Amino acid sequence: MNVTQDLSFLSLITHASVVVQLVMLGLLLASLMSWWYIFQKMFAINVAKQTTEKFEREFWSGLDMQSLFQKVNSRDAGGMESIFEGGFQEFSKLRRQTGADVALVMESTRRAMRAAYHRELDLLEAHLPFLATVGSVSPYVGLFGTVWGIMNAFRSLSSVGQATLAHVAPGIAEALIATAMGLFAAIPAVIAYNRYSSEIDRLATRFDSFMEEFSNILQRQVK
Amino acid sequence: MVFERKQPGQWKAGALALLVHVLFLGLMIFGVSWQNTEPSGVEVELWSEMPAPARVAPPQHKPEPAPKPEPRPKPVPPEPKPEPKPEPKQVKADIELKAKEEEKKKRREEELKQQKEKQKQEEEKRKQEQEKKQKQDEEKRKLEARQQQERERVEAENARKAEFAAQQSAGQKVLDDFTGRIKAKIKRFVILPPDLAGNPQAEFDVTLMPTGEVLNLKLTRSSGSSAYDSAVERAIYKAQPLPLPPDPGLFGKFRELHLKFKPREDL
Repeated sequence: MNVTQDLSFLSLITHASVVVQLVMLGLLLASLMSWWYIFQKMFAINVAKQTTEKFEREFWSGLDMQSLFQKVNSRDAGGMESIFEGGFQEFSKLRRQTGADVALVMESTRRAMRAAYHRELDLLEAHLPFLATVGSVSPYVGLFGTVWGIMNAFRSLSSVGQATLAHVAPGIAEALIATAMGLFAAIPAVIAYNRYSSEIDRLATRFDSFMEEFSNILQRQVK
Repeated sequence: MVFERKQPGQWKAGALALLVHVLFLGLMIFGVSWQNTEPSGVEVELWSEMPAPARVAPPQHKPEPAPKPEPRPKPVPPEPKPEPKPEPKQVKADIELKAKEEEKKKRREEELKQQKEKQKQEEEKRKQEQEKKQKQDEEKRKLEARQQQERERVEAENARKAEFAAQQSAGQKVLDDFTGRIKAKIKRFVILPPDLAGNPQAEFDVTLMPTGEVLNLKLTRSSGSSAYDSAVERAIYKAQPLPLPPDPGLFGKFRELHLKFKPREDL
């Protein structure tokens, strides 16, 4: 009886059937991608938060709006800055045109800010759906690999006749690795997805309130 | 308006993702100790008490010769007695005599001093020798005690070995006994094929379950007559459950049996 079989991790993977190996490969790729996006999003959201905080300080420090616009325009704007940039640009353009209606000026300014806001959010939310997909699907993919591996293990068992645990154990072990990989891919992805979407939501409310306040200030200037 | 902005830290993110996976893989390969070998069984003997050590020392153990105490240095013979005092000569000159006497006195004192010193030295020497002797005695005693211990240990081991051998032989006896019974039971079920020539021998490897049922049966050497082989095989299955010793501890010897069968055997 071959009780002392090699059960090391690598040999389990290399001895698995082709379908299980494909599943493992797919899961590995998904895991790699999701971790890549996790780190990428982490940096992006951190940068957006920092620039927003900096801009808010600058904005409420009582600086002249024209000079603030020039300052923001000169640098690579991001986050709240670009909302301000888009709104103020539109506003000053319309102000220069004579005979513009106040309501019309405010309306188009708001629209410009909305557009900038949506672009910012879109950028922040990019790849988040991928994390959600990996988080929800990869356990099932791993489970599929496991079920397939166990099916094979039992099929080969039928030809042996005398079934011992030693005959089934390697097959099941190699099949279970697929589930482990699926969970390894899914857990961080789900955690990251939840965390990032809540952070992006908070940023979005900050942008929203800034838009309201900024349009109030502009409206006061028009009158 | 073309909207494009570089995402920060693309490469850094990729490198970190790779790092996470390499770490995880390393953990899986080196951290988790996958069971590669069956834990081997450990044979344990239970002793209610230590066996009484046999009086006779085992022949293979010779006590090491005690290191001979070094020859004791001979006590130094006592110094020769100081020379007898020379008779004071009658000297006429009083002063001279006095001076001479003084000189003599001085000399005598010196001699006395020397003698004393010598005595002291001798005494010291004796003391040292005594100490040395004591030390040697002590060492000798220690060594003897150690040898005694060693002897006892070896004796105990020998006794243990002997008992183990006895047990082994008892186990062998049981094994032979029950192998015979198993074979006898199987023989009862063998239906000899009618056209069997000669006395061919078939050999089987039988794996048993603790209940006496046959788990696995393998023909290791055919008798040459397939009819006889299959007859024995059928008989083995029919003879289930095979007789096994009531002591479950002995089953280990019966898990795998090698049985030989001959159609005509003088059992």
